[in-house]
Amino acid sequence: MLDYVSFLQNLSNGLLIGGVYALIGVGLTLVFGVMKTINFAHGDFVILGMYCAVLLNTLFGWDPYLTLLVAMPLGFLTGAILQRLVLSRLVEAPPESSLLVTLGLALVIGNILLLTFGAEPQSVHVAYASSTLSLGEISLSVILLLAGLATLIVITALYAILNHTELGRSIRATADNRLGAELVGINTRWIEAVVFGIGMALAVTAGVVLIPLLFATPTFSGAIFTLKAFVVTVLGGLGNIGAAIAGGLLLGVVEVLGASYLTSDYRDAYGLLVFLLVLLLRPEGLFGKTVKRV
Amino acid sequence: MPSALKADGITVQFGGVVAVDNVSLDVQQGTILGLIGPNGAGKTTLFNALTGFVPLKAGRIALHGQDVTHLAPHARVRAGMGRTFQTERPFEELTLLENVLVAAFLREPKRRHAEQLAMQVLEQVGLADRHDQPALDLNLARRRRLELAKALAVQPRVLFLDEMMAGLNPPALKEMIGFVRELAAQDLTIVMVEHIMEAIIELSDHVIVMANGHVITEGLPREVIEDPRVITAYLGED
Amino acid sequence: MNRHYLILSGLVVLGILYPQAFPGYLSVAITLLLFAGWATAWDILGGWAGQVSLGHASFVGLGGYFVAVGASQYGIAPWWAVAMALVAAAVLAYLWGRLTFKLTGPYFTLSTIAIAEILRLVAINEGWLTGGATGVFIMSLPEPFGLDLFARQTNYYLALAFAALTVLTVIAMSRNKFGYQLRAVREDEDSAMASGINPTTVKLKAFMLSGALTALGGGIYAIFLSFLEPHVIFYLLLSVQIALTAIIGGRGTIWGPCVGALLVVGSGEVFRTTFAEANMLIYGLLIMLVVMFLPRGIVGEPARYLIRRAYAKRAQS
Repeated sequence: MLDYVSFLQNLSNGLLIGGVYALIGVGLTLVFGVMKTINFAHGDFVILGMYCAVLLNTLFGWDPYLTLLVAMPLGFLTGAILQRLVLSRLVEAPPESSLLVTLGLALVIGNILLLTFGAEPQSVHVAYASSTLSLGEISLSVILLLAGLATLIVITALYAILNHTELGRSIRATADNRLGAELVGINTRWIEAVVFGIGMALAVTAGVVLIPLLFATPTFSGAIFTLKAFVVTVLGGLGNIGAAIAGGLLLGVVEVLGASYLTSDYRDAYGLLVFLLVLLLRPEGLFGKTVKRV
Repeated sequence: MPSALKADGITVQFGGVVAVDNVSLDVQQGTILGLIGPNGAGKTTLFNALTGFVPLKAGRIALHGQDVTHLAPHARVRAGMGRTFQTERPFEELTLLENVLVAAFLREPKRRHAEQLAMQVLEQVGLADRHDQPALDLNLARRRRLELAKALAVQPRVLFLDEMMAGLNPPALKEMIGFVRELAAQDLTIVMVEHIMEAIIELSDHVIVMANGHVITEGLPREVIEDPRVITAYLGED
Repeated sequence: MNRHYLILSGLVVLGILYPQAFPGYLSVAITLLLFAGWATAWDILGGWAGQVSLGHASFVGLGGYFVAVGASQYGIAPWWAVAMALVAAAVLAYLWGRLTFKLTGPYFTLSTIAIAEILRLVAINEGWLTGGATGVFIMSLPEPFGLDLFARQTNYYLALAFAALTVLTVIAMSRNKFGYQLRAVREDEDSAMASGINPTTVKLKAFMLSGALTALGGGIYAIFLSFLEPHVIFYLLLSVQIALTAIIGGRGTIWGPCVGALLVVGSGEVFRTTFAEANMLIYGLLIMLVVMFLPRGIVGEPARYLIRRAYAKRAQS
């Protein structure tokens, strides 16, 4: 019976952490869906959110969740500006250029953070850090619950925007058929900037939500989050938001269960293995077809 | 005359749509087969199925008696097929000679010999004097000739030409028709998909007309174009 | 085309003389040569065959570990260890390519990251194989013909030979059948098939050659460091550095990767005190600038310009 309880315990932890992965993945997949850009800097946007919370906490003693009021709009603006200044210039360049330019952006962000904050891992301590909520024999970390809740709210809001507003319809139209969207008068250039802004805002939010749980380090963790975001999105199929949420939850569960029942040494490898398997075995909607001209 | 290319019951399906339905053909060595039909008739799909770029649902293909049904496109080229593409895309940074060299290496692995072969082919299509020019910004007629040269450099026994004449102005068209006729005279077997009737009538020994994935009629070019079924297929019924 | 051989000979002569002129700057020169060699080797796959890999650190690590573990645990001479590493690297590249070459563009790139990361985790966790996460020391090496392999000067000449060999390989390749097959596959796989080329075979050969040469450099790197940590040598950042060096210089060009190495290692040296550990900032800024303003790289873009100009002149006359 004990096994059953610990399984449920692991499962719920996996689902909660997976919710945050979903939040990260949704931003990446949204950007891909609309711009066909694979954003390598996405994980570093997450780290940027973490440092934003660290900074505001050190300066004003703000709770991370209060930081969101600043971090989200700031992330949105920065993302939109980056898109206009950098990515929008790449229209007629070789196919990997958006991947390369965002990889460069990732290195720049990570190393500027390193120069500013130093290599020492940093975190924000909150009073509720070790509080748990008991549900029968399962105890859930309050931090994780809050993270899960925040994810739920943000994703619901995003869903509402995409499905019930004029902006959302324009975004979906652009993702669906760019030329068609332009023909009916949608300014797709503007939409791209907005979408990249939303993507960055989502990543920053994930960072803020994670900071009571994890330490922020400037250069190495960005790549890890980027990889996780890829895993999440590829699990579901790039460009598909619902699938990214499922992918995030799945990754969280796979990691936690793999670490507790197989060996924790390979915690990060489980996600990657699943990622590879999906890439190789479930090609529908995953492959960028080479230009077919026959 | 021996059969150069023989296809039986070729069927191609995309999802639920049958693009080519049970088409058979037999091309004699040294002759030209013209493949015509309205847009969407399935002639390009048939063409790609014969050259291996589209998988078959059913059917068999034999090249000079050798069964090539299960060979990949590059292996069919090795076996003696050569093809051009509708939208040619040369390697822009390479010279014309180097463009043809890529194909010439198939039969001549040594650079010196491959270069000789490539030059020879460039002469055949009248591009030899430009061999050291980059393929950048070539005009349409010359791009077509370069595409033809690339297909010839693999020294095919059966040559597949995909709409080589489309969009050419009258002098260039005449020139291209001349090239193709010369090739057939050298005992090369040719299968061509074409919209330009002038080229089909002047060149083909035999014409197959397709519509909706089926062969609707076949025969000598003059007979075929006067066939009421063909006229209906092109113009639609009243 | 023979001018490339001429340039290479000239550079090798300069390289041989360098330690006499600047005996105090050997380490940075070794780094430069290793990166020039790695980037050139990477470019066989990434530039000439057009398959951007962000997993080449795996091959550096493979070469390095064969030498280090061979020397410290089995007493295998480094040249035999390197020979085994070359074979192992080719086998790894073959299996890797078989698995992932049906993926194209960015998806191939993502898969290389995933495989390299898995290999890194294996290197960290399988201590019996690699000495584990703490790393492995090379305590002693044989002295062929009385040569001290640990000496900086020896390391330097090994690195020089490595860089020269990779560039020589690429020059030879650029003129022969294989080089043209690679370019054809990169430009258009369908068109390549119409020329009788099997794209998968050609890409596999490119990956094997690229991986084996990278492993060769890895073996020399291990002797240079004499201490290997899986965190560092298998790390994504090293893969990124190698790839970006080649891309900044110019993919699919003979000298681009070398120029890239000169630029990134050189500016890393200039700004070493300013940026300290944040030296990857240079890579980040350079790659952004290059992709935005010189998409074919520092060598590739002018080369294309020259071709266009030559053509324009001819068209006028």
